[in-house]
Parts: sequence; C-alpha cells; structure tokens
Amino acid sequence: MKKWLVRALATGICLSAGDVYAVQGITLNGFLTAGATYSGTQVTPGGGKVSQDGDITNNVGFSNDSRLGIQISAKVNPKVDVTGQLLARGRAANYNMKADWAFVTYHVNDPLAIRAGKVKLTTFLISDYIEVGYAYPWIRPPQEVYSANPISTINGVDMMLRLNLGDATFLFQPYYGTSQGSQALVPQEAFVLFPSASRPPAGSVVYADFSADRMVGVNMSLGTDVFTVRAGYLQTLVSAPAFQVKEDNVKFSSVGGTLDWHNVVLYGEYFQREIGGFANFAFPNQKGFYTTVGYRIGKFLPNVTYAKLDKNVQAGEVGKSLQQASTTLGLRYELGTGAALKLEAQQIKPEKGTRGLLIGVPDNNKAMVYGVAIDVVF
Amino acid sequence: MRMSLIKWSSLVSLILFLSVSSVAQAGVAVIAHPNNPLAGITQEQLARIYLGKTSEFPNGAPVTALDLREGSVTRTKFYKSITDKNEADLKAYWSRLLFTGKAQPPKEMNDDEAVKDWVSKNPDALGYVDGKSLDKSVKVLLILP
Repeated sequence: MKKWLVRALATGICLSAGDVYAVQGITLNGFLTAGATYSGTQVTPGGGKVSQDGDITNNVGFSNDSRLGIQISAKVNPKVDVTGQLLARGRAANYNMKADWAFVTYHVNDPLAIRAGKVKLTTFLISDYIEVGYAYPWIRPPQEVYSANPISTINGVDMMLRLNLGDATFLFQPYYGTSQGSQALVPQEAFVLFPSASRPPAGSVVYADFSADRMVGVNMSLGTDVFTVRAGYLQTLVSAPAFQVKEDNVKFSSVGGTLDWHNVVLYGEYFQREIGGFANFAFPNQKGFYTTVGYRIGKFLPNVTYAKLDKNVQAGEVGKSLQQASTTLGLRYELGTGAALKLEAQQIKPEKGTRGLLIGVPDNNKAMVYGVAIDVVF
Repeated sequence: MRMSLIKWSSLVSLILFLSVSSVAQAGVAVIAHPNNPLAGITQEQLARIYLGKTSEFPNGAPVTALDLREGSVTRTKFYKSITDKNEADLKAYWSRLLFTGKAQPPKEMNDDEAVKDWVSKNPDALGYVDGKSLDKSVKVLLILP
C-alpha cells in the first residue's frame, strides 16, 4: 500500500511511471515559522487592525508570520530535476495550502540551468527564500522594501548562468513570464477606485486582484562565502479588471548587498518603482531602503534595522505615495542546528501626513509592533 | 622558503598517499571509487563540491558527494578543515540553496561503513571517513589532519 503510494506520488511528479531511479531520487524537506505579533498602539478608531493588510492587530495574533512549507525534489535523470513547494500560511488573504513553486530544471552543463514552470521571482536579496525564516536574521524582512513588490512568483521561464571567478560566483539570471497577485488596499485612500456611495469605512481592507503580464527582467549577483552584492531590473504590464486598470506600465529596479564576516552581519538594499496610468492609484511611485547591522555573540545574533519608505518621481503621479521610517531591534538565538528563536520590537513612524504601511495614522504618529517567532528547517 | 615548504608538504602528502593503502591513518580520509582517475584533490576543490558550487570533479566528471550524519566527529573535523563555517552557518547556507532549488546538500550516510560501501560501488562517488576505517575497497584522494 505504502509502496504504491510512493510510486503514485513519484509518477505524478516525474511523469515517469515505474522509473525506479526517479523514486530513489526523491527528497523531501520542509520549513516552518510559528510566530506571534502584538501591537499596543491604537491606529483605527476603537482599536483593532494595525498593519495595512490587517494581519497585525491590537491583540496577540498568530496569522501574520506563521507558515509551513514542504519541498519535494526529484531527480528524473542526471540532467533534469523537478522541484515543487507547497506553502500554507496563516494570513487572511491566502491561508490555503497552495503550490508556491513547481518547476522543472534542465541542467545544460555545470554553469548553466534553465528552469520552467512556477518559479520564485528574485527582486531582492532574499526574495527566493523569503518564506524560509531560518535563512535570515529578521522575523519578517524590512517591509519598507520587501512589501514594494507584491508578486513573489512568476509562471514562466528563467535561466541561471553561474560562473566561478576565483573565490566568487557570478550569477546572471534573466526571466520572462506572467503572474497574478492580490494587493491590500486601504479604500478611503484610493478614492478614485471606490465611488463615495460604495466606499468601505475606515479600517477596512479591500484586496485588488491583479495580473502582471509580459514580465521581463534580470537578476545579477556576485558573491563569495563572505559577501553578496546584487542588482535587478524588471518591467511588466499590470491589469486589475475590477478597477478598470488595463496594461499599465511598471518599472522596478533594486540593488543590495550582504556581508557575513567573522561576527559581523550586514544587510542593505534599495529599490525604486514607477507605475503609470490608473494602476498608480493602487501602486504609487515609491522608493525605499533599509540597513541591518548585527553582531554574533555565540548563539545570539542581536541586530538593529533602520528602514525608510519614500515617494519617488511625482510627474504623472495620481496615487498617494506612502512614507514611513522604522527602527527595529531584533535578537536571534540558535536552538541547536536547524531551529532559531527570534524576538523583535519595532517602532514605526508614518511621515508627511501619510499612514505609511499602517492601516491609518496612529496617535502621536508612531506605532510599536512586537513579534516572537520560531523558525525551523527539516 | 615558501616554495620549499610547498614542496615538502607535497612530498609529505605523497608519502601519506602511498602509505594509506596498506596502513590505517589518523585524521579524515577523503575517498573515491578505486577506478576514479584523479590522483588527489585539494581542500579548495572539496569546498566547492561540498558547498554545492559545482556538481563536477576537477576533471569535469560528475560527482555525487556523501556526508556523514550531523553531529558526527569526523563530519565536524572534515568541515572545519575545508571551510570557516560552523554547523549552524552551514545549515542556514544550505537552507538558502535547498529551498531555492539551486542545489541539494550531499547525501547523508549513517556511518563510515555505509560511506565506504557506497563509494566502492559508485564511480561518481566522493566521501570522507575516519582514517581508521580505511580499507582497500576505496581510493584515497586526500588525508586531512
């Protein structure tokens, strides 16, 4: 019975029934984050939601950061392998188990691989392992930068060319594809999209389903065991039929670097985006950056992050750019190998009269958010 | 001076290399299939393979690398001599490669016997065992102190 199940699973993944090699070549790995968040700051009248998507609230909540991922990889033959990742997350917008990735890799030769299917979109340093909390120092990567791209996967094809230059590896990764996503909107702000008669009250969250087509971009990085620097650019056409948004231009660029040298851990990234047409109401022009400095003391990694979200070019801007700065104190503690405990305290200050990435403007113009999480890989 | 030091060390490793087939060694022995054409391998080349940066031996032949279990003394010694990373660093490093579909970590084996058994049967295999477990079923590429 069990053998039959394994074989059926292998057949489903590899499309090669009875291929014993494929059955032997299957590996199963997983990752899990169990996290709790709390904010004591009242942002909406009467209290309740704090973050713009409403997942961080004035109560202790477990939905914002908690997730489970299962990865299945199978070697079909020495040149071809298949990878699938199933992801279940606690967030309101997407709590169902879904296939986050599913792609086939063809290894042309040692430095060159071509991947097709649903692949992770690498717009930032940690984009392609953003769900794997164990692999980075924060509970959630700095939102001033990481929330700027609401798409994390594309359906399409990419090419990974990895060249060894002495101690360093250079990666050249162009990609082409399409994607769908959901963006949390604060309706009283995107007033053009919501006529006054149908405008939901303050504190509501509305999700706009959108698609990004003819997306073309490139990700390049140069890294050693000590540092990595990267740069990326993409352009796409975004449509949201429910809001009369049709094929508006999006340009997105980012640079960043990370260093892990002796006990010093550094991260820094910058992005800017420009979005034309009606889509600008939901996705205004923005730029942002963050810097993280950490110092490893045995099993502890205390770290501090400063991040800022700012307006970008104002010409042609019809939406309202969001502005905020935040400071985060974090502590990561290694619980043996393959597990880590993280604690964070974050002060968020919306700027220039905007709500920043909060659902509204808080009293005294600042909000505190606390988090605790356990990250595991297995 | 530097040159002669290198010459001396290569002479010493040559002597070690010639003697390992008959005498058990202290240290960690890096092993391959008896038909593997390589005469030896360097720590840098091992690091490239064991950190997933290449899937080929230095001569271009495909390689399947084997690991001992996490927590094994020989494994700790092996990684200490090829990289600066500790066990937690390595776990985080591999989780980045693994969960991005870029590379799979080396295949984990239960003990020295299992490694030797696999290596002796697979021409593309590369492994490491405690020098004391060496026998003639495998070829030694390097002895790490």
